Amino acid sequence: MYPALWHVTSRQWKSHRLRVALTTLGIALGVAVFFAVRTANATLLDSLTLTVERLAGKSTLEVTAGETGFPEQILETVRSTPGVQIAEPVIEVIANTGFEDEGNLLIMGVDTTGDQQLREYQFDRSQTQISDPLVYLAQPNSILLSQSFAERHGLRIGDALPLFTSHGRKDFTVQGLFKPVGIGEVFGGNIAVMDVYSAQVVFGRGRNFDRIDLVNSPDTPVETVQQRLRERLPSGLETVRPQVRGQALENAVTAMRVGMLVTSFISLLVGVYIIFNSFTIAVNQRWKEIGILRAVGVERRNISGMFLGEALVMGAIGSLIGIAGGYYLAALASKVMNSIAASIFGVISTPQPLQLHSNLVLTSFALGVACSLAGAWFPARAASLLDPALALHNVEARQQESVLGWARVTLGGGLLLLCSLLIQLSPARVGMTLQFAYAALMLLGLTIVLPKLVQWAALALRPLMDFAGGSEGALAVDAMIQSPRRISATVGALMVGLMFVFSTGAYIQSYRRMIDRWTSRLLNADLFVATSTLLRSTTYHFSEELGQRIAALPEVKRVDNVRFTLIPFQGDTAAVAAVEMDGFLERAGGAIEDGNEKTARELLPRGEGVLISKNFSTRWKIGAGGRVHLNTPARALDLPVLGLVEDYRSDKGTIFLDRALYKKYWDDDAVDFVEISLKPGGNATAVKGEIEKLTSGSEHALVYTNAEFRNWISGLVDQFFVLDDMQLVVAVLVALVGIVNTLIISVSERRREFGILRAVGGLRSQIRKLVLLEAVAISIVGVLVGAVAALFNIQFMSHTVSMVLTGYAVPFYFPWTLVFCTLPVVVAASLLAAWLPARHAMEVQVIEAIGYE
Amino acid sequence: MIQLTDVSKSYGSEKTVHALSHIDLTIAPGERVAVMGPSGSGKSTLLNLVCGLDEPTSGSVKVEGVELSGLTDDARTRLRREKIGMIFQTFNLLPTLTAGENVALPLRLQGEHKHEAERRAVAMLERVGLKDRAVHRPDELSGGERQRVAIARAVIFRPPLLLGDEPTGNLDSVTGEEILRLLDDLHSEYNNTLLLVTHNVQAAGHCDRIVSLHDGQIVRDERIEQGLAEIR
Ligand SMILES: Nc1ncnc2c1ncn2[C@@H]1O[C@H](COP(=O)(O)OP(=O)(O)O)[C@@H](O)[C@H]1O
Ligand SMILES: [Mg+2]
Repeated sequence: MYPALWHVTSRQWKSHRLRVALTTLGIALGVAVFFAVRTANATLLDSLTLTVERLAGKSTLEVTAGETGFPEQILETVRSTPGVQIAEPVIEVIANTGFEDEGNLLIMGVDTTGDQQLREYQFDRSQTQISDPLVYLAQPNSILLSQSFAERHGLRIGDALPLFTSHGRKDFTVQGLFKPVGIGEVFGGNIAVMDVYSAQVVFGRGRNFDRIDLVNSPDTPVETVQQRLRERLPSGLETVRPQVRGQALENAVTAMRVGMLVTSFISLLVGVYIIFNSFTIAVNQRWKEIGILRAVGVERRNISGMFLGEALVMGAIGSLIGIAGGYYLAALASKVMNSIAASIFGVISTPQPLQLHSNLVLTSFALGVACSLAGAWFPARAASLLDPALALHNVEARQQESVLGWARVTLGGGLLLLCSLLIQLSPARVGMTLQFAYAALMLLGLTIVLPKLVQWAALALRPLMDFAGGSEGALAVDAMIQSPRRISATVGALMVGLMFVFSTGAYIQSYRRMIDRWTSRLLNADLFVATSTLLRSTTYHFSEELGQRIAALPEVKRVDNVRFTLIPFQGDTAAVAAVEMDGFLERAGGAIEDGNEKTARELLPRGEGVLISKNFSTRWKIGAGGRVHLNTPARALDLPVLGLVEDYRSDKGTIFLDRALYKKYWDDDAVDFVEISLKPGGNATAVKGEIEKLTSGSEHALVYTNAEFRNWISGLVDQFFVLDDMQLVVAVLVALVGIVNTLIISVSERRREFGILRAVGGLRSQIRKLVLLEAVAISIVGVLVGAVAALFNIQFMSHTVSMVLTGYAVPFYFPWTLVFCTLPVVVAASLLAAWLPARHAMEVQVIEAIGYE
Repeated sequence: MIQLTDVSKSYGSEKTVHALSHIDLTIAPGERVAVMGPSGSGKSTLLNLVCGLDEPTSGSVKVEGVELSGLTDDARTRLRREKIGMIFQTFNLLPTLTAGENVALPLRLQGEHKHEAERRAVAMLERVGLKDRAVHRPDELSGGERQRVAIARAVIFRPPLLLGDEPTGNLDSVTGEEILRLLDDLHSEYNNTLLLVTHNVQAAGHCDRIVSLHDGQIVRDERIEQGLAEIR
């Protein structure tokens, strides 16, 4: 590119500072959100990894059996395996403390004698003479606390710490405090250590361990030990490297991470539209300049080079600003992600300070520049294709808004159709990258047909604007109909944001309806008792004795104990609901689909078959008549599938089997839910009160009536979607910033037009009204095309995305209410956004604006 | 029709430019006045004062007996859209609107309904000889056609006063002559007052009176013999 062209460009920038600044900020915004989300994400993963490292200590291998644990005899087998140097048992419990304001405390049950070989404990010796507090743990009801937790609650050595155990609320004596290093760092210091055998008792684990952590002897490679253990241990047990657990934690938060990533891409896309808008305007404005440059001998490619060069510089500057801003934003995002990981996914992390990942800086920078170039591409091309003779002819000769040909519309429509077909027909597991390519295809198609959509929407809007806005309203819409390209650039940003909002909203709605159907068909006991305000606690359970106490109440007809847990299944995880089949069939037998109900009713209570949830069926491609193969800690089980039920307790898919069978093969009689049926005429609320009295001060039990339980589940669903709601807010904000940006740019660059209007008799107030009404019209059109775009994206969300995240598709649902509720918000925001530009437009100095060259 | 009394206009505070100084000028209704003078002599400034787009530093400007300096911006704008049509050297059409829509614009700003406004616009375009160009955009028209559109827009509401700032300045002499004939025709039809800024003696020949400006002052003000206008 000629240096002279840079000179031309720099002059242009000087005289259009506002446009340049806003455009750069548009890119900066996109990059900032992207960088913040990625950085927060990386930080979360770091903290998960660190948690796993700290908890694993020096161990090189772990033996586990899903959530259920395994018999303690396994420890002997492990210890006697050649090549194993150290092997220590672990029980991990997230317990509720008796403190009002403190939720969860991670309790590690360890063997007091051996564990220091494996994990790092640094005790605070200022308060005690005891050299090794671990020794004192063997005393019943003893516990060691992290210093930070103790300080938060004013606990000293010898004080009592109240905890909810399987046998009710108990006080534990603080025997020692460890410093915030090693395992003391984990979970922000909300960690305690107790004796593994006491933990078995107080948390109802029977004679089971959750895990054995081991170290191989230096002369035997880890792989060899791993191989040996796999051969010696029962098939339900897994021997893995500790890092694998980190992987599992990461998988648990995948949904959140993918969601955040999508949000950040949306912001970048909005950035692309902002650039597109700005450059379309710039090219229009500089039509004559381009003509002159072409006339004096600048080649086409240098013209487009000039604009792309500008985009490059803006993109680079914007990206740098974005990265700097994003770093601060990341602190916020990180906090949010950590707390969601803990409260919704039950994943414990060790909050880490933000780290500046250099590869993220580079990616964000590159993406920012790439988006900027992509946005400027078409305007730059249009500039280079300009006919110099036409441009020089006169001021009015601007970029011709060529009639939008049907070829274009057909191409765009074709892409959209293709994308719909791909979504519906392609297999579920072709890989995320490919599936997100569908979305890219769809966006491309939408962008191509957007001008036409805008024109149609504006035409449809014309009578309304004419009626409500008078001649200014009609003029505003006419201007839109006449320049669909300029308007589409503005509308584009809004469309992307709103499309995301509508389709996510639709997905959530559809999901909620599904959940409603499930709860009304399957969850029909009169009362429910649960262990946690989350769907269930993974570590805290009731004992069967609670059920017996409840059964003794006079109004109670029947009590069913339910164990709900995750087990390893075909290299992945599946949920198991161990229910008392006779009671289950009595209440929910009608909900069985796809099988022979009679056979099912006969075989299920005998433990000679299972029911599977529909999402399990889709996920593993097993239907009624198929078989499931389960590796239990005792031995392998192979059972026929007797029917399907709709159940969404777990996104992994659920296997329903008889409780007696479960107890036998998993050697686990823990209880997660107690389901209670009342005698005819029994008063649920009254019985609820009695059960609460029964459990108060002993179990950490949450009692719900049927209606409350179902509400509670929808509450959990809401909580699960908190993140999506946040994404919606971010998307709306980004879309609004986009429209503010593009409105300010386009109004400030239309001074000449307003000057002419004033010269031929437009009042100041009319100019203002015109600008404001145009903003209103643009926002309405934005909502309309956003809804059209959502029509396609909803298919993508409810089919492809849902498949990736949950393993099943949700039914298509269009969120009319959401669209209608969004409309006034967007209109109001646009009015607000247009206020300042409208003032500027109003105060245009006519003589200057129409300038005589 | 127009009365300027001791009008001065200067720009800038430090290096003051006296664009006009102590101008007295009276123009009768129906009169056609050409304003001539070298570039920078204050012609455009004079026009801007008359149509109320600019205010004099001192002195009084009256249009149809109304003192402009006493009016608010809105009142001046209303005066403009009811009484004054303007045509410019650079046409100043809105590029996104069609010829018909450009012509209809003043009517629509006055609240006229689109259909009625455009019906009248098409009639007016027919009057200026652009019957079948109503749906074309400015960039699809030649310079002469564009100026016809601009004239149609200026006279669509039958203004008693028509102002032109070098309307033929961007056109070749043949096309320019056509435009001037059109103005002649419109004048004989509506008997509007015409204030025409021009460099061009030929253009001035279409007027009844020539006012010459130099350095912001009127250096000559002469009536053209009827005969001269006839000879052309
Ligand atoms: N907005 C302005 N600011 C400063 N000086 C101006 C402005 N407009 C016009 N002038 C000056 O006033 C004088 C008269 O200008 P103008 O009326 O445009 O002349 P003409 O139309 O006869 O060429 C010129 O010297 C010009 O430089
Ligand atoms: Mg001039």
